[in-house]
Amino acid sequence: MRHRLQALATCAAFLLLPWLPALAQTYPDHPIQMIVPFPPGGVADLAGRPVAAAMEKTLKQPIVVQNRAGAGGAVGMAAAASAKPDGYTILVALSSISIIPEADKLFDRKPAYTLDQLAPIALLSADPTVLVVKSDAPWKSAKDFVEDAKKRPDTIAFASSGVYGTLHMAMAMFAAAADIKLRHVPFTGGGPALTALLGNNVQALASGPGPVAAQIKAGALRPLATWGNKRLEAFPDVPTFIELGYKDVEFYIWAGMFAPKGTPEPAMKALRDATRAAVKDPDFVETMKKLESPVTYMDAPEFQKFWDADAARLAKALVKIGRVQ
Amino acid sequence: MIDTLNSLALGFSVALQPAVLFYAVLGCVVGTLVGVLPGLGPLAGISLLLPLTYGLTPTTAIVLLAGIYYGAMYGGSTTSILMRIPGEAASVITCVDGHAMTLKGRAGAALAIAALGSFVAGTLSVVALMLLAPPLASFALRFGPPEYVALLLLGFILLSYMSSGPMVNTLAMAALGLILGTVGIDLLSGFHRFTYGVTDLADGLGIVPVAVGLFGLSEILLTAGGDTPPSVYKPKLRELVPSREELKASISPCLRGSVLGFLIGIIPGSAHIISSFVSYGVEKRISKHPERFGHGAVEGVAGPESANNAAASGAFVPMLALGLPSGPIPAVLLAALMIHGVAPGPLLMEQHPDLVWGFIASMYIGNLVLLILNLPLVGIFVNVLRIPYSYLYPTIVVFCVLGVYAVNSSVVDVWIMLATGAVGYGLRKFEFDMAPAVLGMILSPIFEMSLGQSLAMSGGSYGIFLDRPIALTMLIMVLALLGLSLRDALKRQRGGWRTGAGLDA
Repeated sequence: MRHRLQALATCAAFLLLPWLPALAQTYPDHPIQMIVPFPPGGVADLAGRPVAAAMEKTLKQPIVVQNRAGAGGAVGMAAAASAKPDGYTILVALSSISIIPEADKLFDRKPAYTLDQLAPIALLSADPTVLVVKSDAPWKSAKDFVEDAKKRPDTIAFASSGVYGTLHMAMAMFAAAADIKLRHVPFTGGGPALTALLGNNVQALASGPGPVAAQIKAGALRPLATWGNKRLEAFPDVPTFIELGYKDVEFYIWAGMFAPKGTPEPAMKALRDATRAAVKDPDFVETMKKLESPVTYMDAPEFQKFWDADAARLAKALVKIGRVQ
Repeated sequence: MIDTLNSLALGFSVALQPAVLFYAVLGCVVGTLVGVLPGLGPLAGISLLLPLTYGLTPTTAIVLLAGIYYGAMYGGSTTSILMRIPGEAASVITCVDGHAMTLKGRAGAALAIAALGSFVAGTLSVVALMLLAPPLASFALRFGPPEYVALLLLGFILLSYMSSGPMVNTLAMAALGLILGTVGIDLLSGFHRFTYGVTDLADGLGIVPVAVGLFGLSEILLTAGGDTPPSVYKPKLRELVPSREELKASISPCLRGSVLGFLIGIIPGSAHIISSFVSYGVEKRISKHPERFGHGAVEGVAGPESANNAAASGAFVPMLALGLPSGPIPAVLLAALMIHGVAPGPLLMEQHPDLVWGFIASMYIGNLVLLILNLPLVGIFVNVLRIPYSYLYPTIVVFCVLGVYAVNSSVVDVWIMLATGAVGYGLRKFEFDMAPAVLGMILSPIFEMSLGQSLAMSGGSYGIFLDRPIALTMLIMVLALLGLSLRDALKRQRGGWRTGAGLDA
């Protein structure tokens, strides 16, 4: 009898053997796809690739970065939002992720995706934008700029990365708080917008710190203020708008990691743990420092709060801008 | 001058290091392949390979990526000439006379002329880049939206030179191109136009899928739909070498193309794509026999192919002198530098002379490598034509689909290519030319955007075009050219050249 039971147990064990890994929940057991909804070389790509490399060390599976650019990121974000929530698709997106659905709403479009289709994993970086003018411009401070703009409304022009793009939203928030009217000249990205400022085609620009740091150090541009809640390490002399009394003017170009909503909890936990380890990886920290975009890490619960507040601020600003005629 | 020579010596000492030399050659080889594959252009090529450069040093990374860029400009002409399929956007116009030369049995000569022209233009513009980068860069910066508007108005005049058929057909195709160019987000209002809820269409129709469809697929469909299969071409050795007359006829177009291409290339933005069209238009306008264009005029290959290579080097002017991401390709190259901790800015040349001058020196070497690589390849590529069409063409369709898909991993792009291929087939059955449609599609979004930006800058006043000297000068040129065309039109009854050329119905 005992022999029989033993034999049965052995048989059962052999039968169950192929299923054991599934029972043990070994996530991940095949490569993970990371969607970057912008072209290679952009902020999201530059942050996404090194973090993917660092996460591979923990997850022991390759993370394949796929650039799905288009429509200001909407194409790739929509692809990630509607991907199968199995933990094998993740997304690295920027602040614009909160703007696109709002803009769709503004134009009565069927939204490409909605924010509740995505679950946050972690915040990777958050760089406050910097208000820059040419170094031969008459304004020495943000106060000069505001006073002059009040004297001659709708004459000072600023460049942006595109209508409702991050650089537009930042400037619109500031203009609304300071009660000034500026001319908006949209370009097709941060690079062309910076070129337009240096070529004297516009007079001001809100830019991420990375692209303008070298121009400021070389004396071509002058920073007037930043949109952060504390001063930037790279420019300790430049005040924040909050310090200057505009307490709602806070804006960051941030990069965060998301998964489709409904991704199983064990996979989410593995991804969060891997990201937590990755942001401490010296290679990753070094790369982000080189990009003038220091690591600002937040785990999912904290990031969710940050994201909600940011999305609410942006939605408010967007409604205020309304449809551009 | 002595400074420049010293710097150049430093540059060569860097560029001749075995590692740097290796990556320069590798970049050129990969670039040629990227250019040859239909659909895959330089931007897609360097974007796809950017992540592979993370482990390199800044100098080898930028030398590799730049090699891919100008290598693609060499390779882009190959499929244009042999199969009428543009290898990348700047080689679209080469399809017209390049393929006509192939049909006349001069494929080898056309490929050789394209390679030689690219070499001359590439080398000359590196010299210009080396000597003139700082002053030219500040000039390039003054090129804002109003100047773009004026430049593109000049471009619109070119449209009428893009076809050898009746003027009505040319204008109809130009209009089609302009309309196709309006698809996508309106930059000024954020409004989606003609996207029908397809998010992928928000960026507009890509030039590459449309050009490959209109030129390449339509050509394949036309051949497949012919009554008799085309006879397979058997190249003979002496046909591979350009004749003395062909070489002589190519010298001036090549030099003019180099200058034009370089000047257009330094302008920030995406102007470099139109450099080859501008060169083609100029060659046709000043030719004593414009009627030869479209039927295998060697000038129509030499000029544009020189221009697009010169433009490739020109694009490095604002990048190196000011550290500016002045266009999509310099932006990717600068990103590669940032990854390595080299902050791009106006001090790039001062702070990293070994990098900048090593890069410049590697371009001299790269151009030489490309010439050595491409001339023998002429013989191999021409032999592709020996493959029977029933095997060759399906293979090409596969490569077209792969190339177009690879750019954005977008199936929508593949559908666009297939749809425009069918449209192109229908239109060509009625003997419409495709070149004006493609140029129209390139011009219309940039024109609309620049006009909107100019008016946003001025608060709605058109005076901005008269206040800015560069824009004003170009507008006067537009008027002068229009006046000339009017004079030609009036002379029509007395046998002006347009009638002789069959440009008017």
